[in-house]
Amino acid sequence: MRTHLIISTANELLRVAASRIIYISSDGNYSNLLTSGGEIKMVTFQLGQIEEMIHKQLPEVASTFIRIGRSLIVNINHVYQINISRQQLILQDRDSIYTLSASKEALKALKEFIEKSI
Amino acid sequence: MTPNNYDILDTEIRIIGDSIPAPQKPKRRTWLIATIIIGLIASIIVLCLIIIKHSKNRNEVGIFEQTPVHNTNPHPLRAWITSLDSISTIGVVTKDTIVNDIPLQLYVPLNCSPRLEIGYTCIDDTSKNILVFQAADIRADNLEIVGAFVLRGEPLSWGLSKKGYCGIIEDQVTIGVADNSPLFELATEKAGYFFRQYPLVSNGYLVENELKSKSMRRGLCEIDGRIVVVASQTKESLHDFAQALVDIGTSQAIYLVGSAAMGWYRDTQGVGYALGNWEPREFENISFIVWSKP
Repeated sequence: MRTHLIISTANELLRVAASRIIYISSDGNYSNLLTSGGEIKMVTFQLGQIEEMIHKQLPEVASTFIRIGRSLIVNINHVYQINISRQQLILQDRDSIYTLSASKEALKALKEFIEKSI
Repeated sequence: MTPNNYDILDTEIRIIGDSIPAPQKPKRRTWLIATIIIGLIASIIVLCLIIIKHSKNRNEVGIFEQTPVHNTNPHPLRAWITSLDSISTIGVVTKDTIVNDIPLQLYVPLNCSPRLEIGYTCIDDTSKNILVFQAADIRADNLEIVGAFVLRGEPLSWGLSKKGYCGIIEDQVTIGVADNSPLFELATEKAGYFFRQYPLVSNGYLVENELKSKSMRRGLCEIDGRIVVVASQTKESLHDFAQALVDIGTSQAIYLVGSAAMGWYRDTQGVGYALGNWEPREFENISFIVWSKP
């Protein structure tokens, strides 16, 4: 079973365990990847390309990643709190908490998905 | 939105592992549609060319080698066959004739009941049997019967290596050509008989076969509603033999085991005649089509 996401460019290769990825956010033509421990890594791929890499490279664990709108991919194992009225999605990694923003509709859908998976 | 956003809105979520549209999909779909359209156009052009060529060939009638046409004129043998007494006479009426330089002998069983038999017992039973010919072929590798076979309602063999069939249901013999025949099931339901052989004639037209060698040929034929066994007296190709059957007015015909296969018949005077070689007797699954006194 493949457990690591490999993001490779002409000059660089990034190999990250899927479980260590907290979220990936879009930054124009680039993406920021936040890993466990708070390290943020900028990669020169669009978010859609990262989504495709996860789908292809990590077929068995890809379903733990949720694309939320156009600008966010989150690891569902790190979801800590969803607050629809405040449009807040809070992710947790050990002692750290990361607050993200998303649309109410997307957060509502995410909440329903997690409720169904109980 | 860039193509890599995969048409997702800010109000939506997507589980990545469930499904993801491939970025190349629109391009592939375009290519697929284009390929189908090109294929359709090419097929139409080829079809048109074939039709044009065929229509041209139809008009090219040669002087020395005329294109064979289906003979609609009744052969004199047909009048003879239909005139036979099928009420009081019991036995086999034979007729020798020559068609397309092929000497043929016709065997017409009168007032007899048809059935199939397996084994050599029936060939020795001359008390009731009127006409006996080998029916289905036997596989060279395992000595089993070739093609589907039903004996008194019991299916003994399955298979479709030969498309000609003969079904015997309630004393009614039906000959035809088909991949699947309901007569197989009907034979199992009504304690009937069924076997398969090479098709020779279907609806009055010759059926081509792969067998190209020459041999003594036998065919089970339907001529004007009457079942007739026709045998060539010389070695013939299956094509020439089938053409001769067509020319005497056969509407349906399948092959029977030919060459020196054993057979027997009793004429209307009660005299019996042996056909083919009666020895050796080495095949347990040898099958015969038998007509006997009711």
